[in-house]
Amino acid sequence: MYSQQQYGPPPSFQQPSYGSYPSYYQPPPPPPVPVYQPDPVTFRRDYSNQLAELKVNSRPIIQNLSMIAQEFARFSEIVAQCLESHIRRVPQWMKLPAFYLLDAISKNVYEPYARNFAAFVVPLFLETYSQVDESTRSKMEEMLITWRTGSPAGKELFGVPAQMAIERGVWGDGASSSPANSFYSGSGQITKTQVLTELEFTLNQKERALQGNLYDTTLQTHISVLHQLRKLVEAGVSQEELQQILTQLRSLVRSVASTPTPAPPPPPPVAPSVSWPPPQQSSYPVQQPAFPPAPAPTYPSFPTYDNVKTETPPSVLPSASAAASGSSAAQNSILSLLSTIKKVVGENGTPLGAGASSREDVKLEPPPPDLERESSRSYRDAILMHDVKLSSTDIIRKRPDVVEFLYDRLAAQCKQCGIRFPDTVFGKKRMEDHLDMHFKQNRKANQNIGRGHSRSWFVGVEDWVHDVSVDVKGKGREAGVRPMNAKAAAAAEVAKRDADLRAQYVVVPRGEEANPVACPICKEQFKSEFLDDEEEWVWRNAVLKDERVYHATCHAEAANGLALRLRSELAANLRSHSNTPEAASMGSVVAARAGGVSTPPPSGLKISDTLRSVSLSPSPESKLVGTKRKVDDTDHSVSDEAEGTPRLKKMALTAADSMPQ
Amino acid sequence: MASEGASIESKEWTLDPETEYRFELDPGTSLAVKLIRGHAEVFGAELAANKPYLFGSECKAAIFTWRGCIIEVTGQPSTEYVSEETPMAAYANLHIAFEQMRVRALRNLRGSPVPEYEREKSSDPPRVLVLGPENSGKTTVCKLLINYAVRAGQGWSPLLINTDPAEGGWAAPGALSAAPVHTPLPTCSPGNPLGAAATSAPTALSSNALLPLAYWYGHAESKRNPLLMERIIRNIGENINDKYQVDLQGRTAGLIVDTPSSFASGPGSSDERQRLIKACVDAFKINVILVVGHEKLNVEMQRTYASRLTVVKIPKSGGVVELDHLYRERVHNYQLHTYMYGQIIPPPPGISSASLGGETLSDLVLSPSSTIINFDDLSIFRIGAETMAPSSALPIGAARAVSETQAVPIDPAQPGSGLLNAVLAVLAPPVNTDESERYDEEILDLPISGFIIVTNLDIPHRKMTILAPNQGSVVGRTAVIGSFEWQE
Repeated sequence: MYSQQQYGPPPSFQQPSYGSYPSYYQPPPPPPVPVYQPDPVTFRRDYSNQLAELKVNSRPIIQNLSMIAQEFARFSEIVAQCLESHIRRVPQWMKLPAFYLLDAISKNVYEPYARNFAAFVVPLFLETYSQVDESTRSKMEEMLITWRTGSPAGKELFGVPAQMAIERGVWGDGASSSPANSFYSGSGQITKTQVLTELEFTLNQKERALQGNLYDTTLQTHISVLHQLRKLVEAGVSQEELQQILTQLRSLVRSVASTPTPAPPPPPPVAPSVSWPPPQQSSYPVQQPAFPPAPAPTYPSFPTYDNVKTETPPSVLPSASAAASGSSAAQNSILSLLSTIKKVVGENGTPLGAGASSREDVKLEPPPPDLERESSRSYRDAILMHDVKLSSTDIIRKRPDVVEFLYDRLAAQCKQCGIRFPDTVFGKKRMEDHLDMHFKQNRKANQNIGRGHSRSWFVGVEDWVHDVSVDVKGKGREAGVRPMNAKAAAAAEVAKRDADLRAQYVVVPRGEEANPVACPICKEQFKSEFLDDEEEWVWRNAVLKDERVYHATCHAEAANGLALRLRSELAANLRSHSNTPEAASMGSVVAARAGGVSTPPPSGLKISDTLRSVSLSPSPESKLVGTKRKVDDTDHSVSDEAEGTPRLKKMALTAADSMPQ
Repeated sequence: MASEGASIESKEWTLDPETEYRFELDPGTSLAVKLIRGHAEVFGAELAANKPYLFGSECKAAIFTWRGCIIEVTGQPSTEYVSEETPMAAYANLHIAFEQMRVRALRNLRGSPVPEYEREKSSDPPRVLVLGPENSGKTTVCKLLINYAVRAGQGWSPLLINTDPAEGGWAAPGALSAAPVHTPLPTCSPGNPLGAAATSAPTALSSNALLPLAYWYGHAESKRNPLLMERIIRNIGENINDKYQVDLQGRTAGLIVDTPSSFASGPGSSDERQRLIKACVDAFKINVILVVGHEKLNVEMQRTYASRLTVVKIPKSGGVVELDHLYRERVHNYQLHTYMYGQIIPPPPGISSASLGGETLSDLVLSPSSTIINFDDLSIFRIGAETMAPSSALPIGAARAVSETQAVPIDPAQPGSGLLNAVLAVLAPPVNTDESERYDEEILDLPISGFIIVTNLDIPHRKMTILAPNQGSVVGRTAVIGSFEWQE
């Protein structure tokens, strides 16, 4: 039912936006960017030494080690050997963090590591699994589930055989009798434990998401439904039902996974960050998922969109409605639970870009005020102790210890760029954020090589004025509550209209459920979902016009300029190659700009269509690198979206062209 | 220390506390500096240890250390030496004084209790105007003070405002601009002395992805059209006020204004200078004026402003280099090249790979876009007449045919339009689309979206080739010409 091409979940670490990049910009494999050139022996020694420090689940260490691995992919075998012998050697309480590192490297760097690790991951995992305690086991199970879809293509991280072998070892041999390729695709034997693990996993995800967003009623419903489901499963259900639950659960998770998360991350919860850094804290504080795409996926606490399962739902799978014909009461209750889940997911599963981001705006809670204030208070006291007058004579005579403020008080330093942070709880948290940012940027940089970058247009006055001093890159400053009420109100208004549009639906014609149908405007396929009230499969955010089905938002956009704004805002949130790196966090700001652009040009200036831009081959004389890119025709206008403000106009034109007027 | 290879010329320098290693580069050469031990900083931006930092495009800079360090230098600078006399202690004092103003402003904003002895202190954040003659290191002082502020660990993001049209800031030369700064501004090339404006590339440092607000003045000298200059300064000031209304906490970090040397001295009439300085003081609500090493100007400023704000004379660094006209021309070229093609510094031999302050080098390379457009696709204007005598030089009673702030349309089809190779500023679309709200001189008050270069004119077919920073269309936009030209 779900169209795999569009909504097949992206590899968990990728931002949803990458997917839509035109294929002719396929980046070549990223070359390693070595900073120093150690020989293999030195490298082995250095890496083992650093690995030895990985005693607890520490994000900086894991990140650092996987960054090194990324940088020195040519030494991947050495890394693999070091890691394997490390895991085998260390005491059992140190094994899990090392597995997290293995997981981080394989997922985030993938090539060639996943290949290297695949050689030993099965015995290593199972051996470790047999040694560790119960809670570590469940963490390993969670990790194992993410491996099913851990590769960049959404496939098994270490290949099907390895995945199967591990799962068989972990969840018993119930599955081993079934055909290999359907091991967990729904037609094999499924044990209760396995279903419970996955249920547990999904529940955990949801509960974490809820922590970040306490008022999300949809999430609350989800969780209560999942709890009920768990009770049912624990009470005991038939094999067939288990199968259905599992399949539904997976597609549920997948549909959640394909839901782009709104740009502004939920604010960090107050409590966990206060207790930082307890070294034995097994799940490190990813409860503040400020950096969704980074290596977080595999650690015990997952951002919501990290999915469990990406297997194509098997064709043999009985559809929910078909299965509902069963008469057993238990089955009915499960199915109704499931359709409740479905319904809830459906509502939530529709990206509410504008709405979501504005909701965040309004609700953004200040960081633990005490910490920040405490830190600035002690700084203030220290700085005011110095007696420096602003006068020509005084500044030459006095010699205050500026080093104290520039170096000593800022003991924690980023090894990448040299930026320092206070050695306080508050400062540590910011350094974590900062390191995450580096990690993310490095990843992106390697993925983007060959794609070609360009200078963005400068921001307009409105954007500039409203781009408040939150450090968008380094998260140097916490995004506190700022007086943006007028804007927030406007954003809420926009969000409401958008939500109204998205609430519209079209019932899928009988027999058409399996056929992919795409919106003529945006060419994206519709996602069908089961609507409980109607007991029908429907396409959400859809309208029927002249016998053709359009996305309601696309249609409205083509019809008037208002929705254009919504969509652009959404686009800004969804597409990572947005014109400025900050675009995502400036969601509503972008909307303001879009408003400016989409309005008709003044009469004094002539507007002509974009078609008149004629192509020109790259001129060969630019010796100093920098390939000039061709501007071809309007077909490329979509790819132009990244380039700056004019894209909106182009989109409008494209949309208008394809309207059947 | 493991050496990188046998034949590579690299040299270790051991710097004593509070000394600096100064170097100057010839055109076409580059230099890599790696911090081996200790702490070091380039104009206030700290170097990370064991990362080669690249410098190029005739960069002249200094690596300073507060407590001593060892650096490894690869490449051949035309001049290199270690100096023990630096004005850094004085600059550090300034930093402390400004930090005091910032923390007081923040305390005031948060309504925290004020101790008795602090009662009479002002709670105004530092809003600093830096004045000085040519080659006095004004921009360096600004950069240093900004870098120290963002390094304080307090989350300050002060505004840096560049009113020197010859400098260009984050835009191209000819623009005046302002941007909030969150992370230290790197120094690597005079092509982007204050960090870089945002690109589509992922950047690790926000100082390589600044969001400036830029206005087009179009000329290198402030005396060319002081009326326009003043208007732009006031426009930037108003937008900053608007920003501060929205961002109360951001306001507490204050702002620093870099100025052209013509504000301090020069052939222009004293009235004009005073007028532009006053425009800055008013527009940015300046409360501290720093005069870099210029006694007479200091006295002049004391006399005029001492009653309402603090005027401080600060020492000038002995490291500043006398720069000639040709050098400044070349720097304009570097800046435009950097705007279009990004920051490209070929590393010196022996350095296989390096970073620019934690940034992947390949991400700093940009690809502009060359497009052919119709003459009618772009409305091009010039502000004022092409050559303009000062008002004072006109015969008494004579009025100008074209006023300084009049937008004159340019027809590309006319020979001698001056468009070929010209740098054009593409203006942002007007915010106000209501016709009744529009006015004649609106074009003067619109900020810049970006710059394009006219690389070819095909008058018979009424087409021109433009080099634009990205693939975004400029059709239907308004562009303004200045007096800058650029050829690759």
